[in-house]
Amino acid sequence: MAVDVHLTLDSDTVERVATSEPLCVDVGATVRETLHAMKEKRRGAVLVCEGEKLAGIFTERDALKLMEPGADLDLAVGQIMTGNPETIADSETVGEAITKMSRGGYRRLPMVDPDGRPKGFVTVSSILHYLVGHFPSVVYNLPPNPHHSTQNREGA
Amino acid sequence: MIDCPFCGAENIPGIDDCEECGQPLSHVQNTAPENEIERSLIKDRVSALSPKQPCVVSPTATVGEVLHEMATNRIGCVMIVDDGKPVGIFSERDALMKLNTEAASFGDRPISEFMTANPETLEDSAKIAFAVQRMDLGGYRHLPIVSKDDQLQGIISVRSILNYLTERMPTSG
Repeated sequence: MAVDVHLTLDSDTVERVATSEPLCVDVGATVRETLHAMKEKRRGAVLVCEGEKLAGIFTERDALKLMEPGADLDLAVGQIMTGNPETIADSETVGEAITKMSRGGYRRLPMVDPDGRPKGFVTVSSILHYLVGHFPSVVYNLPPNPHHSTQNREGA
Repeated sequence: MIDCPFCGAENIPGIDDCEECGQPLSHVQNTAPENEIERSLIKDRVSALSPKQPCVVSPTATVGEVLHEMATNRIGCVMIVDDGKPVGIFSERDALMKLNTEAASFGDRPISEFMTANPETLEDSAKIAFAVQRMDLGGYRHLPIVSKDDQLQGIISVRSILNYLTERMPTSG
């Protein structure tokens, strides 16, 4: 039986789709240190924290601006991060995450616990993966190529 | 009826091969669509996602030029095109992983040294289910769309797929 997608979007919490253990750096870390950490851990975004609390977000999009000649890589990441980013609480639903992301045009949302501590990221890709889980057969059972070589029936 | 995922023709359930194009339908029989979303995924073609015109550069464009273009226009990825064919893709992720803090010193090098060569593409006539599969399994954020003769037609993003899916499922949002 098909799962009622509508029902689960309104009841499943974002914890089901969030990535765990987000990469966090201190507001005082330099841009250079932050870029190195993102490369090493292969993450497209870092959460910038002040103590245990989330202070901002720094993404690969922000990094692009710092790759131009003359950029100061010794700046503190806290000076160029996006402060007070939109977040999603770990108790909110997947449906609410989709709404927030499409309304704000965000590609990822930091997920926080009730005390404001970062717990993970919800991304467009992680939501897509969750949705595909509701109709795996039409997606995962596809042949490797959308068009096979025989476009015409033999002898036709 | 069963929609052939190759050509879109309707077939009688239980048939071995598509009446129209002759492709085997055995794998489709077991996985007949169970709801509207599934039906749309194997019926609609990627052209229905309205592929956007990507930022296009030649393989000889320099890293400095490409980075400047991306940063100024807030572009997440550029297509590297030679003779109309997509030969590579260069994204923010490539910039972060391959250039990182050394970006300025690579400024005069050609982008072809750092692009992801021979990116996976999809024909504009392919069904959306294939785009979803490529994006999800490959973890791609962008997928170049090409014509039958491999000419770049546009690019679709994972966000456009998400929008397509959410438009087809009623949410309280």
